[in-house]
Amino acid sequence: MSVTALIGTIKGSWLLRADDARQVWRLEGPAFKGWKVTAATREEDGSYLLATASDVYGPALQRTRDFKEFEQLESSPAWPEESGRKLKQIWRLRAHGGSIFAGVDEAGLFRSADGGATWESICGLNEHETREAWQPGFGGLCLHEILVDPTNQDRMWIGISAVGVFRTDDGGVTWNSKNDGVPVILEDQDHQGIGYCVHGLVQDPDDPNKIYRQDHVGMFVTDDGGDSWVRQEDGLPSTFGFPIVMDPHTRHLFCLPLESDEFRIPVDGRFDIYRSTDAARTWAPSSTGLPRSDTYAGVLRQAMAVDGCNPCGIYVGTTAGTIYVSNDVGESWATIPCHLPRILCVEALMED
Amino acid sequence: MQIQLEFPAALATVLGMRGLLIDGGGTLRETFRRIADEYPKLGLHLFDESGGLREHVLCFWNGTNTRWLPSLDVAMTEGDELVIMQAASGG
Repeated sequence: MSVTALIGTIKGSWLLRADDARQVWRLEGPAFKGWKVTAATREEDGSYLLATASDVYGPALQRTRDFKEFEQLESSPAWPEESGRKLKQIWRLRAHGGSIFAGVDEAGLFRSADGGATWESICGLNEHETREAWQPGFGGLCLHEILVDPTNQDRMWIGISAVGVFRTDDGGVTWNSKNDGVPVILEDQDHQGIGYCVHGLVQDPDDPNKIYRQDHVGMFVTDDGGDSWVRQEDGLPSTFGFPIVMDPHTRHLFCLPLESDEFRIPVDGRFDIYRSTDAARTWAPSSTGLPRSDTYAGVLRQAMAVDGCNPCGIYVGTTAGTIYVSNDVGESWATIPCHLPRILCVEALMED
Repeated sequence: MQIQLEFPAALATVLGMRGLLIDGGGTLRETFRRIADEYPKLGLHLFDESGGLREHVLCFWNGTNTRWLPSLDVAMTEGDELVIMQAASGG
């Protein structure tokens, strides 16, 4: 099995290919020159689905088996004209249980049961009773997280910036706000359960009820599927940040604290990836090989990824187009010699 | 009757070409609909949820910006040319 990291940027995508030891890296690209590449997932048949977008020409989905030939799908998630909404970007793709789920801006969840030929709006969420009060965050009104319960196909979680986390227990028919314990950032006069700003979610692969949450206002953990959240941020120099990822083998967690929601840059110019080895109870820098000073580029919510290898590889793409990789669960890091456009997403794709 | 449709380099990868000869019978409005129906991959990028041109997509019909036309219900004629451009302002 080999590792290829897809690097999606504001001006195209690149592939970062590793040798078996993940010590020698080769950058290939660009594909989709001039287009944003915003999300990717591996489908259950082994092909890959990528989301592209343009401020002028809108979003689209692209399928490939080898990253050499791409085929644009004829269909894409779309809002009905009468909704008055515009589909600006696909933020998250997830293949699960024979379906493909897409999280989009303007916020919504879509499902395709036929490989992307047709898309169904998940109305229980998209027309939720609180919908009229959903307000965009700094990055837009985007549904950017989709988690599924591997033990129960009817159970899912989604995250929407400046709105919050919702869970369904009945296959997407009804959705309930799951944000108790997290401070609200944008209170609404008429509706409860919204105005929470989730930035990133990651789920324990053995326990779907255990979810870690990098929120606008801190780092939180739930042990009960989101019914209640508690802060766990001991050791973090700042509680603000975007991505959070987990090594599926050791369960170590990784994040990048940023200085406040006003500034959104690494604290004191130190590009410190923080790691927790005890389920988020304590955090410490895990930064050997990363820049120690004068680094002020951040990492967007989808631009940190882990592979499935053991020991785990971690891939980080910055807003300055720099890529850092670790092949030893964050013990050490290397810088890939390149300067890409602003990196929007990183996906580690395992190839047989 | 056929008309020429040209589009910019950014869209060349969609169909693997920079231009098409399309059946141009009827009105400009009908031609837009025909493009969307017969070339859905291209239509996805030219037209939004309303069925109209995306906000930053321009279409010139024989050199005239179609947004300046009082209506899209104008008759197409043999040899007409539609050129798609990206609305760009400033740098």
